[in-house]
Amino acid sequence: MIRFVHTADWQIGMKAAGLGDASQRVRDVRLDSVERIVELARERDIELLLITGDVFEDNAVDRSLVRKVGETLSRFRGQVFITPGNHDPLTPGSVWEHPVWEENSHVHVLRDRRPIELENCVLYPCPLKEKYSTRNPLSSIDASDTHKVAIGLAHGNVEGLPDAEPDYPIPVDAAQKAGLDFLAIGHWHSFSPYKGSDGIVRMAYSGTHETTKFGERDSGNVLLVKIAERGAVPQIESLRTGALKWLTLDRSIAQADDLARLSSELKAIEDPGNCLVRIRLDGLLFMSARAELELLNEILTTRFLYGFLSIERMTPAPEDDSWIEELPVGVLRESAETIRQQAFNGSDEQTRLVATRALLELFELKEKAAL
Amino acid sequence: MILKRIAVTNWRSLLGAVELGPFSDGLNVIHAPNGTGKSSLFEAMRRGLFDVHHVKGNEIESVRPWGRDLTPSVVIEFAEGSETYRVEKTFLSGASSKLSRLEDGKFQPIADSRNADTKIREILAAEAPGRGLSKQEHWGLAQVLWAPQGELAIDKISGSANERLRAALGIQMSGESGGQIEEQIEARFLEYFTSKGGYKKGKFAAPIVNLQEREVEIRSQLLELRQKHQAFEEAAHSVDDARHRRLQARREADATRETVDEMRASVERFDKLKSEQSNKRETESLAKKRYDDFNNSFLQIKTLREQIASNEKTAAILQDSEAGLEKETKSARERLDKKRSERESARNKRSSISEAQKAIDRARAYLDQQALVDAHNKRINKLDAIQKELEVFKQKRTRCVAPESKVLKKLRNLAAKRDAAKAALSASQIHLSISPENSIAVEDLTDSSKHSVGPEETASFSGDALVEIHVNGFGAIRASGPEGSAEKHRKTLEEALGEIEKLCQPFGTDDLERLQTLRDEADAIERSIEALEERMDTLLDRESIETLKQEHAEAKARIAEIEKQYGDWKKEAPVLSKLQKDFESLSLKINDTIAESEGAYEQAQISLSASEKNLNEGQAELKVQQAGLDTAKKRIEELLDGGLSDEAREKAISDALMSWQAAKAAADQAEASLKEIPGDPHRDLKKLEKQRTALEQTEASARDAEKTAEGQLQSLSAEGTYSKLIAAEEELVELENRIAQESIRMDALKLLHGTVSECRSRVIASVSAPVERSASRMLSRVVGPRLGELKLTGEFVPEAITPELSTDPVALSNLSGGELEQLFLIARLALADVLAKDQRQLVVLDDVLNATDSGRLARLLSLLEEVSDRLQVIILTCHPERYRGLEQATFVKLGI
Repeated sequence: MIRFVHTADWQIGMKAAGLGDASQRVRDVRLDSVERIVELARERDIELLLITGDVFEDNAVDRSLVRKVGETLSRFRGQVFITPGNHDPLTPGSVWEHPVWEENSHVHVLRDRRPIELENCVLYPCPLKEKYSTRNPLSSIDASDTHKVAIGLAHGNVEGLPDAEPDYPIPVDAAQKAGLDFLAIGHWHSFSPYKGSDGIVRMAYSGTHETTKFGERDSGNVLLVKIAERGAVPQIESLRTGALKWLTLDRSIAQADDLARLSSELKAIEDPGNCLVRIRLDGLLFMSARAELELLNEILTTRFLYGFLSIERMTPAPEDDSWIEELPVGVLRESAETIRQQAFNGSDEQTRLVATRALLELFELKEKAAL
Repeated sequence: MILKRIAVTNWRSLLGAVELGPFSDGLNVIHAPNGTGKSSLFEAMRRGLFDVHHVKGNEIESVRPWGRDLTPSVVIEFAEGSETYRVEKTFLSGASSKLSRLEDGKFQPIADSRNADTKIREILAAEAPGRGLSKQEHWGLAQVLWAPQGELAIDKISGSANERLRAALGIQMSGESGGQIEEQIEARFLEYFTSKGGYKKGKFAAPIVNLQEREVEIRSQLLELRQKHQAFEEAAHSVDDARHRRLQARREADATRETVDEMRASVERFDKLKSEQSNKRETESLAKKRYDDFNNSFLQIKTLREQIASNEKTAAILQDSEAGLEKETKSARERLDKKRSERESARNKRSSISEAQKAIDRARAYLDQQALVDAHNKRINKLDAIQKELEVFKQKRTRCVAPESKVLKKLRNLAAKRDAAKAALSASQIHLSISPENSIAVEDLTDSSKHSVGPEETASFSGDALVEIHVNGFGAIRASGPEGSAEKHRKTLEEALGEIEKLCQPFGTDDLERLQTLRDEADAIERSIEALEERMDTLLDRESIETLKQEHAEAKARIAEIEKQYGDWKKEAPVLSKLQKDFESLSLKINDTIAESEGAYEQAQISLSASEKNLNEGQAELKVQQAGLDTAKKRIEELLDGGLSDEAREKAISDALMSWQAAKAAADQAEASLKEIPGDPHRDLKKLEKQRTALEQTEASARDAEKTAEGQLQSLSAEGTYSKLIAAEEELVELENRIAQESIRMDALKLLHGTVSECRSRVIASVSAPVERSASRMLSRVVGPRLGELKLTGEFVPEAITPELSTDPVALSNLSGGELEQLFLIARLALADVLAKDQRQLVVLDDVLNATDSGRLARLLSLLEEVSDRLQVIILTCHPERYRGLEQATFVKLGI
């Protein structure tokens, strides 16, 4: 029996664009989650940690990050095997030349394709030495002769993935072809198991240990894999390691009090300090709901690690014209009507958006004048 | 406002007090010649109404009459609404302000000082100026109603005046709250935008501007970081490349090293073969030499034998010819001796030629000396004659005693001095003359001399200081005079006389004329002597007469000498031409003889030389033949020294030839083996070693390059360029998002502001329409339909016309000067008409319509008469006759 944790795509030092002040926190959390993996492996008494590429976002990340990762892994009691991926390929000047990798005998950076024979298994590493290649990284792997559990470590695109470029292509039946009991692969950030022709899962993307962006499914996990013996069916368990929640709330506003309900929904979200929320509204914009929108924005920006409110797709409610009637006859009312028409019938989305915003401005000034 | 009365004191050209009024509520024409204060009057009214009394500065100072320390002041009475006011204002020193109101028939003060200034502006809806004097925009409605001289055009109407116009037209732009909102829109717009619609920059810049500036900065940083990150990746590639190059160089160096080793083995084999080939060639060479020696010896013996036979034969022939040559030589030598003797004989005849030449020379000398003697004879005879004449003159000169010119000059000076002294003496004396009627006896008492003087005679008596005479029968007469001066003159006279006497003594006379004649005679003699001496000098030609005579004697002696040798010449002088002819004939004959003998001698000499040469050559040839014979005999003795027979020699030659051919075949074999090795292995080895060294150097260079690239890479990787890059990229995305958001907000504000402005403009445009229509009608009445409609801006400022024949508006700058002033006057009247709806208003026109022709002026005057029903019009002009058509107008002449 061999028990190991498979993880990949930590993307330490990655860019977190569009998150404002939360960017650095998002980056820091990824490093904290590595610590969590080590803790988890210790708790589960795991003896082997396999990391299949893209530990770092780039070979030119800050060297202090490399040291932190190395030192965190050094605290794992079992053996650690790392194969470089396409983000951190084994090139001159890579992160793998950092001295931290020489400081711990149980942390191994696999730099060539020679099999590593351990007590209960044989590892077949496929380290990447450049960023792009159309070559199958497993092309020369053949584990058919071994009597021990054969585990492959690779990084690339499994053929058939949507929108995947022919970059380090990995056949769907790569594990079977190479005679592997399990092929641990990295590159895609969502957990993705692949069944062989015999219906058995012998190949899987573990996914990233911490979600990297909005809309990324089944991420923030590592895989605990158990294989009883050579040829046995791998037992795969997904363990949660991610600390951050990335929520996207797409809502359509039909009436003025819909926004109040959304505010309540937001307030109910637990642990908002580790939560990134993106709200995209469409539907009708009631000028009187301007205050509610402001409140919503305030909740987003003050409570959550990151919050973003988009009202670009909202259009002024057609029946919401009573406030215009309240404007004095003449220049102002005529202007308001002109802009309102633009908000409905503008030639493009930008024109309509600007007109809607202008109406909001006029509404605000009208309210102020009434005070 | 309606003007009632105005009084101005000490204002520019208006000295003292000038008061006008009361004015008519209709048309008033104030006229006066140029420079008499019409415009000053109008200015005083404006300053009095719109300027604060305590205003300072050069502008207000300039209203004080020139060169006078007077205080300008103005009093204006006007009606506004139902009230009548009086303003009394004094400027500069003693500045004051007072506003009174007509109450119960009397003006009662209602404000003074600054309060009065403020109150007046309130009544007239004027605006407070800043520093200095007020400008048109501060005058409230007056900026439309009043046209100062040269300022009839309307460029701008202030906001308050505009509001009044709109109010008069009954237009309400917005309600109170609407106005507030519009102000808020304007304020918010101006918070971010300039009045021209651009984003505000600088200290109060719109946030989007700061964001965009930061975006530019961050993009610049990003570019640098990307370049750095790219440099990192390129450095990684460089290291990789350097490693490949080093490995490749090492592989190539290793391969070359193997080739070098193989080539070294090849070189060793080559050297060995070459040594063998050299030894065999040497053996071949020795064998060949042996064969050549035998063969040469045999051939030499044969040749020498033939040579000896030939030499012996030739020597016998030469010995025979030698005897004949010796005989021939002897004969030639004898011929030469004979010819030499003949040549000497001929040469000896040359002395005859010399003698003949000498006779010619002597004859020429003889004739020359004779000619010289003749010439000497002539000169000596002439000289003797001149000498005799000269002697005669010299004797004459000795007899002639005459003073020298210098003495004569001195005598003339002394005579003049003497005469002057005489005159001075006479002048300094007392003279007494007596001319008696009868004879009288007179005694000079001064010297006691006595004189008798008859009738008709005059006796004179002189004395230095006193003349005293006694006339018999009459008595003594004394005449006296000044003393002292006569003695001095007398002394001078005596000195002159003494000197003259001394100088004239040698000549026996002191007559200056005689003395001059003597001097002239002496001069004539001296000139004759000089002439003769000059002739002698000419004849002698710088010689002395003794020298001449000596030369004469010497020439005669030479003639005698020649005559001794050639006695015939004494009787008959020689003829040079004959002598020369004889000489030439003799000379030709002798020279021909000499040339002939010398030719014969030379011929004989050549003949002898040829014979001697032939003899010598024959003897030398014989010697050569004999020497060759001796050498050949000696050599053949040496060659035959071995004592071998000719047959034995031929066999030895054959043996040597066989040995040589065997050695040659062995050497050729060795050479063929050597040729099997291509090229020069030494050279190839050298090249390969060079190649190996170069490859080793390439490997070393590649290693160095790799280390350098590694160093650079290490340095770049330590920087963590990616982490910096993404931080910048994140900031950029954040900025882009914020700019997008801000941009929407700014666009929304701009849209709101723009839409409100457009709406307002449309409303304003509709407001000005009634004024445009009114003005256009008036314009059409005055200038006809040509100019069409007058267009005003939203602020009621004329901006264009729309002629009937044109669809597009035409700018006012296209109108003539006359039309422009008519148009602006009409615009002002149209606006005034609007303002007069509620109450009568004052229109002031200062010296306008100067460029308007009489036809249009007449129509304008009709127009003025029409509007005077609603307006008070005051026209200031220096041409009152132009306004005489205004029948209802009150004409006021300024200063009367």
